[in-house]
Amino acid sequence: MTDAVLLDAPLSRDAASPLLALQGLDKRFGATHALKAVDLAFMSGEIHAIVGENGAGKSTLIKLLTGVHRRSGGEILWEGRTVDLATPQDAIALGINAVHQEVVLCRHLSVAANLFLGDEATRFGLLRHGAMVRAGQAVLDDLGFALRADAMLSDLTIGQQQLVATARAATRGTRFLIFDEPTGYLTRQEATQLFALIRRLKAQGVTIVYISHRLEEVFELADRVSILRDGALVSTSPVAQTDEASLIRGMINRSVAQIHFKESVAFGAEILRVENLSGPGFRDVSLSVREGEIVGLYGLIGAGRSECVQTIFGRHAKTGGEIVWQGQPITVRNEADAIRRGMALVPESRRDQGLCLNLPVAHNLNLPIFDRLSRGLGLSWRAEREAADRQIRAMQIKAASREADAASLSGGNQQKIVVGKWLAHGAKLFIVDEPTVGVDVGTKVEIYRIFARLLREGAGIVLISSYLPEVYDLSDTLHVFRRGRLVASHAGPKVAQETILTEAIGV
Amino acid sequence: MSVQIQDPVAAAPTTAGRRGSRMGLVLSLTLVGLLLLLCIGLALSTETFLTEKNITNLLRQGSMVAIIAVGQTFVIITAGIDLSVGAVVGFCSVAVAWLMVHGFSIGASVMLTLFLGMAIGAFHGFGIVQLGLPPFIMTLASLTALRGIGLLVTNGATISGLPDGFTDFSRANFLGVPLLFWMVVVVAVPAYLLLQHSRWGRYLFAIGSNAEAARLTGVNVKVILYMAYMISATLAAFVGVLLAARIGIGNATQGEGWELQAIASSVIGGTSLFGAVGSIQGPLLGSFILTTINNGANLLNVNPFWQRIITGGLIIVIVYFDQLRRKRR
Repeated sequence: MTDAVLLDAPLSRDAASPLLALQGLDKRFGATHALKAVDLAFMSGEIHAIVGENGAGKSTLIKLLTGVHRRSGGEILWEGRTVDLATPQDAIALGINAVHQEVVLCRHLSVAANLFLGDEATRFGLLRHGAMVRAGQAVLDDLGFALRADAMLSDLTIGQQQLVATARAATRGTRFLIFDEPTGYLTRQEATQLFALIRRLKAQGVTIVYISHRLEEVFELADRVSILRDGALVSTSPVAQTDEASLIRGMINRSVAQIHFKESVAFGAEILRVENLSGPGFRDVSLSVREGEIVGLYGLIGAGRSECVQTIFGRHAKTGGEIVWQGQPITVRNEADAIRRGMALVPESRRDQGLCLNLPVAHNLNLPIFDRLSRGLGLSWRAEREAADRQIRAMQIKAASREADAASLSGGNQQKIVVGKWLAHGAKLFIVDEPTVGVDVGTKVEIYRIFARLLREGAGIVLISSYLPEVYDLSDTLHVFRRGRLVASHAGPKVAQETILTEAIGV
Repeated sequence: MSVQIQDPVAAAPTTAGRRGSRMGLVLSLTLVGLLLLLCIGLALSTETFLTEKNITNLLRQGSMVAIIAVGQTFVIITAGIDLSVGAVVGFCSVAVAWLMVHGFSIGASVMLTLFLGMAIGAFHGFGIVQLGLPPFIMTLASLTALRGIGLLVTNGATISGLPDGFTDFSRANFLGVPLLFWMVVVVAVPAYLLLQHSRWGRYLFAIGSNAEAARLTGVNVKVILYMAYMISATLAAFVGVLLAARIGIGNATQGEGWELQAIASSVIGGTSLFGAVGSIQGPLLGSFILTTINNGANLLNVNPFWQRIITGGLIIVIVYFDQLRRKRR
């Protein structure tokens, strides 16, 4: 068990020298260039905020610093010395820890057991439960958390669990602590407790990296703020010398706007209309989709966009409001019902929800249309082959053959399968959830071409994206979600991206 | 058979392409080779192996496990498991015997028993799909319960005195081959057509690979899961009928451990317990390999306790090599 809990950790207070410095830090995942030659210095005892849109490279940066991924290029300097940070153990040994938005603790163990997990107090090889509960309680009391150390973690709220995770990091001789969107699930009171703890850690000389979408927290807490955009560092500046407007300007990227080409298609009849729809995670949403129209839904992660479309698609039962499909009010009983009516969902997570990875490309492509490839009871292998080859050609899917496992394809080509399988099915409404995450620019363009083709053929598209330039450029109508509500809608002449981001963040 | 894709984009000629199906073929040929090797070895080392009596006996013995292994395979392809099949065999041997002793005709008794099996499978589907129980737990529970019901109904006794017309069936031959073995063909051909030549077979694989993706693509996952467990239990009930005919009695303790033999046969035949990989020929070959090993061990006067050890070791070796093969892909 770590004896030096919090107060007597002798730490360097030399604020002028960086504790951790990144020089040209670079990371590639296959074709994706996630982090582009980032230079950053974290001073001893500072609170350094990092802001950026989803996909700007913040998560990649955390993973490199905590040894989850290994850098592709550049150097990491710890107190001026080059370090490798090849494994999570390397990072922990230096005193680098992270507190994540999703709590990574053992729900079936007590608070004390979680605090000391991997560092248990023992006597003759047996656990000293009592001693750990007392020591854990001392830690919690010291931090001013009104929690019992012998409570089960699963009995705590997410916010309280978050505090336990922070306390755990604080007891470990941590010198460099990364917070990744820590207030996502916290109440205001819990957030205040957390901020007090963060300030206290700073006073003890711990260097804090604070990642958040909530700009007001950045101004409340941080000393300096860095902006990431498309994997590159835009700027680092003292918080006192910047404001929310200039942060938002820095976060938005215009350089890829030309990729998001879009053909204008004349709108036809209304396909879908929802009126005051409510369901789990969102409330009171009204919107409509017409033939040839792309309706964009923008918001931060957890804003309720995905929950809203899942309810339309029959995943969850609605709790209020109405869904009108081609003029008829309907109840969507389940996904199969939605598909039968002519909806198609391209889910957010291709690997978990979109693909049967260890099955052939052809099997994946034909999954929605096997009933049509059958005559009577039997399935025509020949029709199956022809349908698959037609899709592979139309979508230009690069696969060794139609019999290759979907897992053997690149991310972009996998995504083409997930979108392409609905082409033959002939759906009327496509709900597309984060279609270009982890996809290179070339494939993005091809996916947008497929959208254009769908629109020409009279389909409508609901596009969910956390990447503002994408929804901004592609959408005919753009709805902004914040905390489960539809807070703004824009059609026709476009408002500035800054306005939309401001609406989504809610500053 | 295979139409090559002519599109220059799609038809990059690499070996990765048809490897999936080719690997299945390689495994099948390996298993056929292993079976032949076993037979040749036994034919040379014993005088009794290659006799009509022994081969007939071997075919009769292997047929029963082969049929439940086929049913088991449908379930395993969905990434599930059916531990109840041995108990269903014993229970249904009691059911068919009880019905015949209580004056039902042979045909009616058999049909009712098959429906009973189907109902047991539907019950498994209900527990797994509707109640959300893990397949392992659901079928383990009904394994225990069915043995109990069978013993309760018979008071732990054996039901005997079955009509000759019924028991003759198991001894009869057609074209020189035991009728029991023909029953394997009767089961395997439709099973193959269902698995490889129907949309429902495709759905089974899709569910085993990624049930969520299948559901979001409009596959009725619940119905297909019901189907898989009903096929498995119905085939087990069928084997219960065949067993009653073969041994001439109904006894609730029969079929003990057959679920493990069925799973072993399926896995030896290349079925992946993680789902989405499996065939019909695989479990058939697997079950006859296991039966031949046991038969040979008997003929060679190997201690029956050793037979179990050998079978266990064989499962580890075969599945280990299969894992190696999959990892290389």
